Amino acid sequence: MKRLKKFLASDFFYQFKSDKMAIVSFTIIFTFVTLAVLAPLISPYNPHDPSQIDLMDSEIPPVWDHNADEEPDARFWLGTDQQGRDMFSAILYGLRISLIIGIFAVAVQMVIGIAIGLISGYVGGRVDAFFMRLADIQLSLSTMMIAIIGLAIFQATFGAELYEEMAVFMLVLVIGIAEWPQYARTVRASVLAERNKEYVDAARVIGLSSPIIMVRHILPNTLSPLLVISTVQVANAIISEAALSFLGLGMPVTMPSLGSLISSGFEYIFSGSWWITTIPAFVLILLILMINLLGDWLRDVLNPKLYKG
Amino acid sequence: MALIEVKNLCVEFPTRHATLKALRGVNFSIEKGERLGIVGESGAGKSLSAFAMLNLLSKPGRIAEGEILFEGQDLSKLNDDEMRSIRGNRISMIFQDPMMTLNPVLTIGTQMVETLQAHRKISKAAARLIAIDRLNEVRIPSAEERLESYPHELSGGMRQRVVIAIALLTEPVLIIADEPTTALDVTIQAEIMSLMLDLCKTHNVGLILITHDLAVVSQVTQKVIVMYAGRVVEQGATRAVIENPRHPYTRGLMAALPQQNTPGKRLFQIPGSMPTLDAMPDGCAFNPRCEHVGDDCRNKMPKLDSFEGHLVRCHKAEELQIKGEKS
Repeated sequence: MKRLKKFLASDFFYQFKSDKMAIVSFTIIFTFVTLAVLAPLISPYNPHDPSQIDLMDSEIPPVWDHNADEEPDARFWLGTDQQGRDMFSAILYGLRISLIIGIFAVAVQMVIGIAIGLISGYVGGRVDAFFMRLADIQLSLSTMMIAIIGLAIFQATFGAELYEEMAVFMLVLVIGIAEWPQYARTVRASVLAERNKEYVDAARVIGLSSPIIMVRHILPNTLSPLLVISTVQVANAIISEAALSFLGLGMPVTMPSLGSLISSGFEYIFSGSWWITTIPAFVLILLILMINLLGDWLRDVLNPKLYKG
Repeated sequence: MALIEVKNLCVEFPTRHATLKALRGVNFSIEKGERLGIVGESGAGKSLSAFAMLNLLSKPGRIAEGEILFEGQDLSKLNDDEMRSIRGNRISMIFQDPMMTLNPVLTIGTQMVETLQAHRKISKAAARLIAIDRLNEVRIPSAEERLESYPHELSGGMRQRVVIAIALLTEPVLIIADEPTTALDVTIQAEIMSLMLDLCKTHNVGLILITHDLAVVSQVTQKVIVMYAGRVVEQGATRAVIENPRHPYTRGLMAALPQQNTPGKRLFQIPGSMPTLDAMPDGCAFNPRCEHVGDDCRNKMPKLDSFEGHLVRCHKAEELQIKGEKS
């Protein structure tokens, strides 16, 4: 309660209140996250359960787009896809999967990146050179390339069935590993700046050990750039997942993410069923846009040089 | 047995071109509860001696020679773990700039509790009680609330008080203060200095005070070392050195102090600046700036000799004394 009060009185919250863009983007992201978390409660159907799908219901348009001679189908307000799945439920579940992959992939990146960045920056010398060259090599291969190779090899060796079961885990792992250098470089740069400050000397004089100094004293001082890149990285991870799913390497059609929904509806776009692709695409674009806008705002607020007063 | 005894301490920095000798043979000892001042201009090796004592030299610096006997134990030969149990526990250090020595993102309380827990098996609550106690001791009002403050919420003087409180937390026997008041304004300087003096007396803590303020040294310390270019040029009881300085450099420092009884006169200045480590002159390091320089001074490094109860490194010490009495 005390903490909450302190937060509400803080400069950060004041900045947030006085920026409409921040409020709008935060509200939309918050709504999406809530919807995703509560998907099983909100959605009328379970799109992962084949027994609830009836092929007779396939390609029903959204309620506002019905032909003049037909009654609108009130069961499916966003229409259905080619297999008769309710689009609204599929999007909620897809959003859930996309967000899970985005957040966990970033968590993996963070853990690897922060550990390597801290050690490189603090220890320096050969250790630093080794990890940073590793990061350079990693960055010279694009995320998509690493992901495609990794996932394709996994599918080829263990078969598509096992892959379908482990798709979420594999995507998190692959996207997480492919993007750690972003964090490692950011952390290392901040550590280099912080390492020579007197409070680090003071901590050594107090008699603290190096791991404690790194984690307790230096890491908290590098958090604000991390927070900013985290927002961008979540958006990137969701995009990567969507792209991989679109290419058929991501989530299987039976457990669609936003990307695989877009992909599966793509063939039908010219036969008149535009909603199967367009609506999930719109949700994806809105989500990414809002995350990026919130990230921009965070960067401005956390950077005292751009302080707007 | 002396609390800490430094014998022939030499520090060098091996570089690509040459090995630079930054500290050449420093000797001193402190008894329990005794206070020593180290004086000299920037780059004379004052802070370096302190860092060398705590084994905190930054690379590539290293102790080339000498012993640092702390309670009979040679600190220069301890490994990192053994050293950590002494640093911050038995010997604390106070730095120049209190704006920089406190971690900006941790509360005062966190930093104090952490220090205690690094050296003792103690619960958080017990550590907080000790922290509050120390904050009271350095006369910080409403200590309990201050524990929740971040460093940026405190003024410079308050912060230095917190730093002193942290230094006292583990009840050390020796505190090394590296220009503790330089970053503060004059009125606060006096307060902080007298606070430190009081605390050292009540806790019977030894103090090594590194400063370039001779006035502070004369008030606070019992012994003093004057350093120039990595060497001790004058050493002895504070009173003897201040009242009867024998080395031209010490005399220059004394003459450069503003005096109230000679208004309107230009202050004395020692001409030139200290030689860099890679361009030491032959003979006495002070000879290019010395007004009494003679042939001996340009050729031979003078020894640290005893004159009237304190040690002086000057060929002309005797002569200068006679001159000084005439004028």
